[in-house]
Amino acid sequence: MNASVLMPQDAPGRIPARAGIGLRFRHHQPVAEARPDVAWFEVHTENYMGGGTVPQYLDAIRRDYPISLHGVGLSLGSAEGLDAAHLGRLRHVIDRVEPGLISEHLSWSVSGGTYLADLLPLPLTEEALTIVCQHVDQVQAYLKRRILIENPSTYLRFWHSTIPEWEFLAHVAQRTGCGILCDVNNIYVSACNHGWDARTYLAALPPAAIGEIHLAGHSIREFGQGRTLRIDDHGSRVAPQVWALYREALDRFGPIPTLIEWDTNVPPLEVLMEEAAIAEAVLGEHRHEAACANAA
Amino acid sequence: MKPHAPTLLELQHAIRQSLLGGVDGDASAFVINEGLDPGERLGIYRNAAAGVLVTALQLAFPAVQHVVGPEFFEGAARLFAAEAPPRSAWLDAYGADFPQFLAQLAQAASVPYLPDLARLEWKVNLVLHAADAEPLEIARLATLSEAELEDLRFEPHPAAQLLRCEFPADAIWHAVLERDDDAMAAIDLADGPVWLLIQRTHGDVHTVRLSEPEWRVATALFSGQPLGAALAAASCAEPHILLAAHLVRGCYVSFSLAHATIALKP
Repeated sequence: MNASVLMPQDAPGRIPARAGIGLRFRHHQPVAEARPDVAWFEVHTENYMGGGTVPQYLDAIRRDYPISLHGVGLSLGSAEGLDAAHLGRLRHVIDRVEPGLISEHLSWSVSGGTYLADLLPLPLTEEALTIVCQHVDQVQAYLKRRILIENPSTYLRFWHSTIPEWEFLAHVAQRTGCGILCDVNNIYVSACNHGWDARTYLAALPPAAIGEIHLAGHSIREFGQGRTLRIDDHGSRVAPQVWALYREALDRFGPIPTLIEWDTNVPPLEVLMEEAAIAEAVLGEHRHEAACANAA
Repeated sequence: MKPHAPTLLELQHAIRQSLLGGVDGDASAFVINEGLDPGERLGIYRNAAAGVLVTALQLAFPAVQHVVGPEFFEGAARLFAAEAPPRSAWLDAYGADFPQFLAQLAQAASVPYLPDLARLEWKVNLVLHAADAEPLEIARLATLSEAELEDLRFEPHPAAQLLRCEFPADAIWHAVLERDDDAMAAIDLADGPVWLLIQRTHGDVHTVRLSEPEWRVATALFSGQPLGAALAAASCAEPHILLAAHLVRGCYVSFSLAHATIALKP
């Protein structure tokens, strides 16, 4: 089923093709009080599942800004099925926040009824593809909305994987009608870690399915004897190579809502706004190109 | 040589065992050995997950962390997370069993009030994240007859919790969070037990010390006993005065008679 037809094009709180910022707790008060010039905010769904003051801040902020919900806990790749209670909590947050976009990850984190607290990599097999697609179908039918699926950063690969990750993601979008949240930093990190070609990855993604882009900082971890891995720790500014890849992504996809994420040692909002301004400039160039192309 | 290709279920069980038990076993055999060995690669995920859970516990138990110090706390939190990992990704609800874990931790026995402090912080955490609800309008009780009042059962407010502590955990909690060394020094650990109501009103969480009779009434009502039985349990001279004072605290959302809910919400 193509769920995109279920999402009205001008839904309230629709996310514009501009630069947004990942809203963290330390920003609640400054944003609620100063109303900074930010096009939209994204929050982690799991942080707003209860009552009290935390969701009340979001109630106030969402009156002035479109909000996107980004989840880490659905575990779409779990062989044992989705957690109905978690799905129920997600719908409760959606009803309250009325987000413009809802996204989750191409990963798993629940096994044997235990939440493993990280976005774990899937074996890229036909079996996993079938399971992920069933779960995306199930979520979209339950929410009566299209969701976006984000490509993960990964630090290992499995022997028995048979499908390149970029093809796997494109298949999920094609079979379920879901959109793709293209995390350009994750593509760069995984490409470095596994010797992939980031451009091959971008070229394999269907442009019409791209609903959002993520940008974040990563770090390089040393493992001795010159061995390193890039770690997606969201703890620094976006790397120059990732900005370059972002331009290539927009060349291919056109202007797409773009989020600046920062989760470790979260800086003041001003730093995030500086990063957003860089993304906004790149988006501006591509909006201009898109307008020229339409006029021609 | 390649090992057999596991099903997704087999693979996820093996990785779960590796991440929780620290033993790579089958999981390592499924991971390509290139540059870094599979154990090092799995270790990245294990450490990241442990970090997330330690952070969740730090957020829920800030006073406990201050009392034992960040290093001890992180060690205890990692042990607990491996022993009792969360059941869901809603981590605001993770940590219910941490106070009991601390109570059994021999290295923490030198701080006798630590389990009470942890129990109080868990109740505070529950109250902080509990669902929003309007408290019961007490005036609604005025229309009921004496006989009906006897059978009345109350539904506790989601953001109200009761706790009995052997030590004055409420005073310790305040002094620790406010870094008030004078207040801390003035606490007499023998000044217990304390009977506490922890509740959220207008967004703020606060603790209220209840008298022992009021605590007995509240405990009976919270557990679903009818009002008549709850007042009998209070065993005090003026139970109706006690009840009136208790009900204005706003820790109930509705009441019901037998099977018929009379007033759910205004």
